[in-house]
Formats: sequence, structure tokens, C-alpha cells
Amino acid sequence: MANSKKERGVKWEVRANDRYFHQSCRRKSFLCFRWGRYADNVVRSYKYTPLTFLPLNLYEQFQRAANLFFLLIVILQCVPIIATIPWYSTMLPLLFVLLVRGCKDLATDLGRRRSDGQINRRPCDILTPEGFKTVKWKDVRVGDILQVHKDQVIPADLLLLCSTEPHSLCYVETADIDGETNLKFRQALSVTHTELNGDSVKQNLATFNGIVWGEEPNGNLHSFKGELHWKGERHHLDTDHLLLRGTVLRNTDKAYGLAIYTGSDSKILQNCGKLKLKNTQVEILLNKTVLVILLFMITTAILLAVGAGLFEQRVSPQYDVVSVLQRDSSPAYLGFLTFWGYIILLSPSMPMSLYITFEVIHMMHCLLIGWDVEMYWEDNNSPAQARTTTLNEELGQVGHLLSDKTGTLTQNRLLFRQCFIAGHIYGDMSKELKPLDLSWNRFSCGGLKFSDQRLVDKLRERSSPECQEFFTALALCHTVMSEWRDGLPHYQAASPDEEALVCAARELGWVFLSRTRETLTLSEMGLTRNYQLLALLDFTSKRRRMSVLVRDPGGQLKLYCKGADIVVLERLQRDGPLQESTERALELFAQGCLRTLCVAVRSVPEALWTEWSRTLSQVGTSTGDQETALEEIYDQMEKDLTLLGVTAIEDRLQEGVPETIATLRRAGLKVWVLTGDKTETAVNVGYACKLMDPDTTLIQGEELRQLLESPSPEVKSKEPEVWITSRKAVKSKAALVISGPELAELTREPEWGAKFVALSDQCQSVLCCRVTPAQKAEVVEMVRKYSTSITMAIGDGANDVNMIKTAHIGVGLCGVEGSQAVQNADFALAQFSFLRRLLLVHGHWSYYRICILLRYFLYKTTAFALVHIWYSFYNGFSAQPMYESWFISLYTTLYTSLPIQCMGFFEQDVSDKSCLCWPEIYSIGQKKQLFNPLVLAITLLYSVYTSIILFFIPMGILQYFALDYQTLAVTIQTSVVLTMTVEVILHTKFWTKYSVAAVVFSLVAFFLSTLALHSARLFTASPKDYFFLGASPNAYSTPEIWLTICVT
Amino acid sequence: MKNEEEASERPDNTAFTQQQLPAWQPVLSAGIIIPGFLIIGLAFLGIGIALFLTSQTIQVLEMDYTGVEKDSPCFRCTSPSNQTCTCEVTFSLSTLFTGPVFFYYGLSNYFQNFRKYGVSKDDYQLTGDTQYFKSPRDVCFPYAHDSKNNPIVPCGAIASSMFNDTFELYQIINGTKKKVPLDGKGISWWTDYNIKYRNPLPVNGSFASAFDGTVKPINWPKAAYELDLTDPNNNGFLNQDFLVWMRRAALPQFRKLYRRITEGDYATGLPAGNYSLTVYYNYPVLSFDGRKKVVFSNVSWMGGKNDFLGIAYLVVGSLCVVMSVVMLIVYAKFKFSDDDDA
Repeated sequence: MANSKKERGVKWEVRANDRYFHQSCRRKSFLCFRWGRYADNVVRSYKYTPLTFLPLNLYEQFQRAANLFFLLIVILQCVPIIATIPWYSTMLPLLFVLLVRGCKDLATDLGRRRSDGQINRRPCDILTPEGFKTVKWKDVRVGDILQVHKDQVIPADLLLLCSTEPHSLCYVETADIDGETNLKFRQALSVTHTELNGDSVKQNLATFNGIVWGEEPNGNLHSFKGELHWKGERHHLDTDHLLLRGTVLRNTDKAYGLAIYTGSDSKILQNCGKLKLKNTQVEILLNKTVLVILLFMITTAILLAVGAGLFEQRVSPQYDVVSVLQRDSSPAYLGFLTFWGYIILLSPSMPMSLYITFEVIHMMHCLLIGWDVEMYWEDNNSPAQARTTTLNEELGQVGHLLSDKTGTLTQNRLLFRQCFIAGHIYGDMSKELKPLDLSWNRFSCGGLKFSDQRLVDKLRERSSPECQEFFTALALCHTVMSEWRDGLPHYQAASPDEEALVCAARELGWVFLSRTRETLTLSEMGLTRNYQLLALLDFTSKRRRMSVLVRDPGGQLKLYCKGADIVVLERLQRDGPLQESTERALELFAQGCLRTLCVAVRSVPEALWTEWSRTLSQVGTSTGDQETALEEIYDQMEKDLTLLGVTAIEDRLQEGVPETIATLRRAGLKVWVLTGDKTETAVNVGYACKLMDPDTTLIQGEELRQLLESPSPEVKSKEPEVWITSRKAVKSKAALVISGPELAELTREPEWGAKFVALSDQCQSVLCCRVTPAQKAEVVEMVRKYSTSITMAIGDGANDVNMIKTAHIGVGLCGVEGSQAVQNADFALAQFSFLRRLLLVHGHWSYYRICILLRYFLYKTTAFALVHIWYSFYNGFSAQPMYESWFISLYTTLYTSLPIQCMGFFEQDVSDKSCLCWPEIYSIGQKKQLFNPLVLAITLLYSVYTSIILFFIPMGILQYFALDYQTLAVTIQTSVVLTMTVEVILHTKFWTKYSVAAVVFSLVAFFLSTLALHSARLFTASPKDYFFLGASPNAYSTPEIWLTICVT
Repeated sequence: MKNEEEASERPDNTAFTQQQLPAWQPVLSAGIIIPGFLIIGLAFLGIGIALFLTSQTIQVLEMDYTGVEKDSPCFRCTSPSNQTCTCEVTFSLSTLFTGPVFFYYGLSNYFQNFRKYGVSKDDYQLTGDTQYFKSPRDVCFPYAHDSKNNPIVPCGAIASSMFNDTFELYQIINGTKKKVPLDGKGISWWTDYNIKYRNPLPVNGSFASAFDGTVKPINWPKAAYELDLTDPNNNGFLNQDFLVWMRRAALPQFRKLYRRITEGDYATGLPAGNYSLTVYYNYPVLSFDGRKKVVFSNVSWMGGKNDFLGIAYLVVGSLCVVMSVVMLIVYAKFKFSDDDDA
């Protein structure tokens, strides 16, 4: 028995009403060790406990290379023979960085703890021997029987035992899990339903002693395999019997369930994967630069060490005083020690605090995005949202925007506008509609943007059986749930198309009233009819159609099918009568930017049904690849259809879409639209939203193929005719239009992809029609591969998730189609038009600020550290530091950090209005003009130059005086700080009160702390006293000189 | 309740969150930059000229007395066998050397800024903490203990290598030598003398016995408590020459203040005439190719003679002016070429 269970993969044992059994195997944990089998129902998304915070957090922080590097430096500084500067000069900044980050981590962790606590304290009803008792979520254990009320969130993964609804059905909303807002039903096993329900549910439940064997906990939300052993019988369980944690019970008074997976074992928590961190190009370049600096530092240290060795060998033996100090060591050994000494000394050139500043500024920018009132959408109360905090500057560099159409460019608020039934087109597209008089229909809720009295008349007179059949099909063939409110049916649908169609049918008199698992109830012109639902051939993005098989009240079997036109048309009976007019209608609808669906019917003979249902049930029980098997079976049923008609649904463009696309195009973005729609529809939408100008030539189909087959576009001298003609076209205006099947061909041949992207760069835009979600991602991948620009994908539905994840930046729209896109996106917006502001204003600013910040940081740290090199030529390569050790430690943290931080927050090179007015400004980010290897090299050279000035001018001036080391140090320190401040001042173009305060604060802090550190009082603690005032007149004159040099 | 929740989602419309903070945006237009450069340049030129002229008025007299050349007066003192040696350097002044005159000694090719040299002193010892007299800190090694393991006070390489040439200056009037009084007070930093360096408290009324159990640095002719027996305020760690030496130089070529000439007949300066400088030559520098010199200089508001400072200002100032002229030309060209833009 046990063996067979293993084979079936069911090893998770749950005994109902047996707390003791599960208690003994409770999972416990101490530090990182865990044992036991069953998790309790406490959510612990927090990472740290008071005990583990310090070690864990430190461990995490030291996984960053920069922190580790500085830890090594600190350790090196503790070795007395190589310690050139006291240990605290690196330790302090390091501690500062660790502290800031630690605080940030702690704050987020406390936040998590608080939200965990809120979740864990939610109430739920649990069955005890005394009846149902309200306890907190965290007290739920595996094996408990729970009672869930209407609109309650389900606290753990439950096996549905019974509910108050007939057949123990119950409805759940899974918005928190997969973002779909429609209701789904779950049904209890019939055995538990019949045995447990009744007047004495409590007693029945209390005596329930079934044992559930299930899979080990896993994160697969849509599958569950298990069996219930009860009263000596085995019953199969699947995902339909499961109420998942986090879903909400709807339309059901009470449901009773057995807790199977609790806490971290539950499906939703198993599903919480870690987000993959995306690195921006700027960051990658920065890391490379830091690496270069590191290499440079090591090389310099080696050279200086060689210098030190030579000095020891050639010069120092002559100095009694110096040579005795070296304790008879060989020059090589001394050189080796000096090497480490210089590594320590030059280590400040590594921008340690840069990473933390970088992070803080990213966070700030993300907050600013969220705070922007102009990106707040009143209608669904959603502000913009930055979900990934590391990508801000990339927003300013986007070169390719790949957009979904439906729900992204359009509102996805679908309106039934026209239909084609039996050769006639009903409805018109004029803007002003005469509302139909629908007062005869007591179920009418309004909201129909359809006006054609002819159709209404036909329906009411029942003069056209085709029309009646058409609307019956619309009212039957869907997965919509109805909910009764105020005597009217309200529909909840998985897709807005369905809702639009069912609503349209309702308004016109074919009202879908309710459904159970086996029946559908309609009211046809006031006449209530029951249809028996035999099979539901559901919709997948691959099949692109759905069908229902029903037995109508007359006992006839009928298959109603609804789907995309090509899939349905190819399944029609041969030589259908209306082929031509249908195609004409489809074309007409497409030109009007309407979405079309074909509706068809098939009468199914009883014999065929019995045979078909047998094969279906066989597949249902068999193992193996069920999906493809099912598809085949469905295919057998969905053929020889008769076309009933075509629906045309209008999907309006969102507000401001044409303007936004026009602006983005001016900003130099290549906008690609990827849609599942037909080519004609897509092209028309393209024109409508200014993706293409009216005089744009389209390159598509055969022409495109020829272009791609021609020798590569780079070889323009020997190009064939096609290329010449197309180049003419390209020169004027052109757009590429490519469809899904062609695209599949394209991706198969790698050269074509490159050519295609190259070609597209010369065109206005690219339209990809009829693409599947997987192909969307492939297109993004292709663009990423063959062009260097940053790609941004924007979409709103589950079908865009692939694309959003693949692109450099994914943007999700909080649309009608649920929140899956948002959950996978880096940024979430409410409207497509906000993209303009996000990219042109926030993106541009972020890019500008961050580039300036990085350049300044590199400049500041390297110029600071390089002075040591110049000084070493004068002090016998002895690794004598140029600065006071306190200065080294406070330089990055106190003296120079705030002004640049302020700049990172507030700097605006151009105002937001100008950003939007002159989108051309955006191209500096696309061309990476502010942060590229060349600019970096210039920055580094500039810092070398600065350090030379910083050292040699004070030296030149002071060598005439009775100059002592400390005076020189103070002079140079002051010059360094003033120089860096002047540099910030020169870069700042946007002076807010905070920037001024920061600059003033840094300077005051520098002078005060220098004076304080040199005061007599501190001398007793640290023997670092010298009189600052003596140096200040000299210090004064030098920075001024430097300042002007900097200006020139 | 629902309304409140919805309101909470709406971002605050404040200047800060909307990035609309009032700000001053300086526009660097040609109209500002060119005059700005010009003004800065002219200011620098002015300062530079003033500095340069002042620097020209400062008199400096520099004399190398190392004695490398055979005919130089101190040549005989360079042989190592000559333990105590005096030599005389004579010079004549044609005009009055205006006072107050500062008297420096200078060393070159001397690495007082060598790192290990620089840390080789015990700051606690030098604050007069007798605890550190017995056991000097490790940094002083190998100048912490002598061969008999007696602690050295003051320990360390800097103290040990203290400059110990001394000078006397005479004016020769009609063949007789008239001693020029040299003022050695206040040549060190106030903080060094009053805070950083402290003598140990006398033991049983005797300053010397505070140093009991310690030995003098190996190269020193006399112990620290004997540096100036005439003036207790200039003795021990508070000896001005010691303090000046302990403030180590930044560069291998340096000069340190030795005395000032501020007293008696010479308060206004050194009158024209012949002078003779008697050097008590003790300090060996030739082993490392070093040089010793004496420098007489007077000072102005800008310090000692310093052509570099003035020249630096002049260079920067003229650069600014040139830049502004270049920009003016470029600007004019642009302005005339496309008037519409301007």
C-alpha cells in the first residue's frame, strides 16, 4: 500500500480531526536548522530575528564585493608593519555604510514583520470538540476543519468538504493568486457532500476521520493530486476540490474544509519565488570601471612598491636614521610591505559609499515616481508604482518600446458595436448614437453602444431564426459567472470580450441567468429555458476558440463555437453560402478597428456524442500529456461548423495615446506594437494612434521577405532593385508589418533577425500581428540581441507577462485583465499616456542625475586618492599618507556626501515641461552620452589632472616657507574639499533650499570638525594636534587658484 | 471609509513630492560668463601683481655651508674624524637688510617625511608622562632602548636625528666682531609649546631626576634636561629648537626657523657691512648627499619670498582673461551668423 502511494506520488498524509498526530511532527526551526514535517500556519516573510539579525545581515552585506574589499583593507590595517593609516580611517566609512544599509534592511524587515503579524492575527473559525471557535490564522494546524464565511479570505489550503450551496459548490475569487477577477467554482466530492451535509453539519464534521494522501507541498497552483481514504474507500482528489490560501470565498454562505497545507507549505507561499534582479547597463559599466580602478590601483601600488624597493636599496642605506628603522629587511620584502601599505592608502579611490548612495537615490527616484500626481489615475485610484528599485536610470535610455495593443493602447473596455448575421451587417459606427428603446426588456441594465432598430425588430418579431441562434450562442458559449444584485444579473468574466458579448445578448433579450456545473439557464425574450451543459471546450491562447456542447430543452445536441476568425473559418462546412460576404464584413470591421469573433454552431448526433465523451473520459483518467490529447479530441468535435455570424467589438483607444506615441517617436524611440489581432485591425489602430503617418508605406509580406533575402542591408552598393525601391520608401516613410507565422520563420533564421532589426531601425515603426505570447517574448529577445538599445515592454494582460519579463524594463498597466502583468513588471502605470511622463521626465532626470552622480563620485574619490601617488615621489615611496587620518575617514561620509546626494535628489537640467515639449532631449540617454567609456576616461583623466594640481600647486607655493608636513596636509585637505564642493556647485543647475543647505552644511562641517579635531581638548585622546589657523592663509590662496583652473 | 482609503492612494500634492520645489536655476549665458571670467581674471591678475611685487621687495640671503668644495670655509669640518669643528662663513651686505630678519637653517635631500621616520616618536612620552619613560612605545624601535636596554628619552628616530649645528652671527666693524643677538623665543608653534609637549614634573625639586633611569638619544651630546640650562622654560621637551625639529617637514628639501633678529641695534634689520657666521659644525649630511644651508630672510604680509604664488595667480588670471576674449570672439561670431537664435 505504502509502495503504491509512493508510485502515485502521494506521500503527504493528513488525518482529519487528529491534532495530536500532526502536532508531533510540527516543523520547528532554530537558526538555520529545520526539522519536522508540517509547517504551522504562521507566515514568516521576515528574514531576521533579534538573534540572527547581526550575523545574517552582515553575511548578506559582505557578499557585496565592495564591502568585502574594504573589510580586507581594515584587516590589513590591523597588521602593524603595513598599517599606513590607523584602522579607524577605513573602518568608520565602512561602519557607516554597513549601518545605513543595516538600518534600511531592518526597517523593511520590521515592515514585513508587521504585515505578517496582521495576516497571522486574522480570525477564522476552527472546529473543536465544543463546536466552532474563532481563533487566529496562526493557530490553524494541518488536519483542522475550518468554517469559512462568505467574503472571507481562506487561511490555508483546504480540501473542500461541503458547503451550504447545492452540490457543495462554492465560488472563489482568485485575484490575489493569478490576478483574474472572475469567479471560479470549486466543488466538494459528492461523497463528502452527501455524508456530511445536513442538519447536523457540526457533528458530522467532528466525527469525520478521513485520511488525505496528497503530494508533497509544491508551488504548482493549477494541479493537485491526492486521494481521500474514508470509510474504506478511495476517492480521487484534484485541484477542483481545493480552496487555496489567499483566495476569497464569494457567493457562498459557508464552506467547510480540511486544512491540508498550512503556512509555508501552502501553494501560494511555495509560489513566492525570488525576484530576479536586473542590472542596468550603467551599473554594469560602473562595475567595470570600479574593476579598472582596482586594477589601476594594484598596478600603481606595485610600481610604487618597486620604487620603494629601489629606494631601500639605493638611497636608504646611506641614511643611518632611516635604514636602521627597517630592521635589516631585504629591499624586496620592504617593497612587498609597501605594496600593501599603498593598497591601503589608495583604497579610498574605490567608491565604497557610492553603492549605498546609488541605492538611496534609486529608492528616492522610485518614491518620486510613485508620488507624481500627474501619473495618478483617478478612475481606478492607482498611482504609478516602481516595483523594482534598480532600473531608474534605464528609463532614460529606452530605445525600443514594445507595446501590447489590447488594453495597453486601447482601453480594453469593450463595446459591442456591430454584428454580421446571415449576410447583413447590423449596427453603425457613427459617433452619436440614438439609444435603443429597450424598455421591453426587464433585464436591461443599459450600457449598450449598439443601435440598429432592424435587428431589435427582427428579434422581437422572431422573424429571423439565424439571429435567434446567434444570440443563443452568445448567451451560452462563455465562462461568465452571474451574480444577482437588485434583481439584475451582473456578470463576472475572465475576459472583457466575453463580458461584452454576454451583456449585449442580455440587452437584446437573450439573458444568461445562471449556471450550475451541469446546466445553463437563459431567458430568451422573457422565456426561461434550461440547457444541459455536456462539455466545455475551454479557451486557450493556442486554440484561440472555445465551445460549449449543450443539450437544448428540445433534447437536441448542439455545439456552439466562438473564436478568432481564422480558426473558426477553417473549421466551417465546405461551400458555406456566405463566404464572400463574410470576408467582406470581416474586412470592413477590421478597417473600423473592431475586434472580430466568429460564432458558429454544429448539430451533434447523439451517437457521436456518446463516442466522443467516452474518449474524453479515457483521456481524463489516463496519465501522460493530457493537454495535447485533449486538444486533439476537441479538434474532432469542433469541425463541420455552420457560421452563425460575426461579432465586432470596439476597443477604444486610451486617452492621449496618439499624442504619447507621437511624442515618444519624436524622442527617438522605436515603437513596436505586438498584437494578437489581425493585420488589418492592427494597421488601422496603428494609423489611429499615430504610430504611422497617413502617407507611410507599409512593407509587408512578400516585399519584406524579398528585402530580407536580399544581401545584407549594409552592402548597399550591389543591392538588387527591391532594396533600392524600398530604400526610397525607407527614406520617405515606411513601417514594417509582419505577422505571427512570418515571424516564426524569421526567428528560425538568425541572420534574418539581425537584418530585420537593422531594417526596422530605418523605418518608422514595426507592427507584429497575430503573435502569440511566446512570440512576443521572442521578438523582445531578438531586439535585445541585435540592437544595443534598451528595450522596454509594456502590456497589461497575462499574455504579456513573458514579454515584460524578457525586456530590460517591463511596464505593466493596471488594466481590466487582472494584475498579472503588474505583478511581473518593474513599473506599474494606470494609463499608457503616463509612459510619456515616466520616460521623458522621470527617466530623463534619473539618467541625468545618476550619471552626474557617478561621474562625480569617481572623480571625487580618485582625485582624492591619487594625491598620494604624487606625494610618494617626495617621501621615498614610504607610503606616507598625505592627509590626516580623520580626514580620510570623514571625507566620503561627511564632507562631500550631502551636496551630491541632494543633487541626486533634486537636480533638473530641464524642467518637466520642457522635457515633454522637446522630447529630443531624451536622445542623450539613448545614445548614452552622459555615461560611456569615453566620458568615464575623461572623468578619470580629469581627476588625475585635478590631483596633480591639488598637490603641486600647494607644494610649489609652500616650499618657500618653513613648511611642515601638517600644514601641507591641511592645505591640501582644504583644497580638496573646496574643489569638490565647487565642482558640485558648478554641476548643480537647480538650486533648491536643500542643495544650498547641503553645501553650506558640508563646508561648515568640514571647518568645524577640522578645528575640533585639532583642538587641544581632543589631543589627550588622540595625539593629532596641530594648529589649523597657521595654515589657513595659505590654504586660502591655493583653492582659489584651483577654482579658476577648474572653471577654465 | 472607502472614500478615505481612496484618498490615501492619491499622492500628496506638495512641492517636494512633485519635484516642483522653488529653485534658482542660474543660466550660464554668455552675458554672464564672459564678464565673469574677465572679472575673475582681472582680480587674479591684480592679486598676482601685488603678490609678485611684494615678493620682489623681500630680501633673501641663502648660503650653503656644507663644505663640499675644497675652498669652502667648512670643508675641513666634513671629514668624519673631526668631532668638534667650527668654521666661519663670511658675507657682506651692501644695503640694509630690513628687519625683522628671520634666520633659517635648511637641509636638502633629507627625508623627514619618510613614513616610518615620521611615526617614530612617542607622543605620550613627550607629554611628560613618566610612565612612558620606562617603557617607550614600540613605534620608537630601534630608538627605544640603547644597547644596555635602558630606555631612551626622548625616544624615536626624529628626536634621535635632531639637528645640532649651532650658529653665532657677528658683524665685523672695523675688524672687531660685534655679536648680533639672536632671539630664539617663540620660534615654535604656540600649540606645540603650550599643549602638545610637556615636561615631566620635577621629582624632589629636581628636573633632571625626573629623567632618572633613562638615557639620552645616542647621537645627542647632552640629555634632554640639559638642552638649555640657563632657561628652565626652554629646557627639556620645551626647548624651541627641539620643538622646531620635531615638527617634521613635508618635503625632502626644507628649511626650519632657527632664530629671529629682533633685538638691540639690529631690531630694524642688518645694516650694510661685513658679517661673519660662526658655525659649530656637528651634523653629518654628506653620507646621503645632503646639503646644509643658512637662510636670512625678511617677511611681508604674504609671508616669505614667494615668486611662485604670484606667478600662479598671474598665470591663472591671464588664462581667464584670454578665455574670456576667446569666448567673446566665438560668441560674436555666433551672434552675427544666426541672429534669430539669439
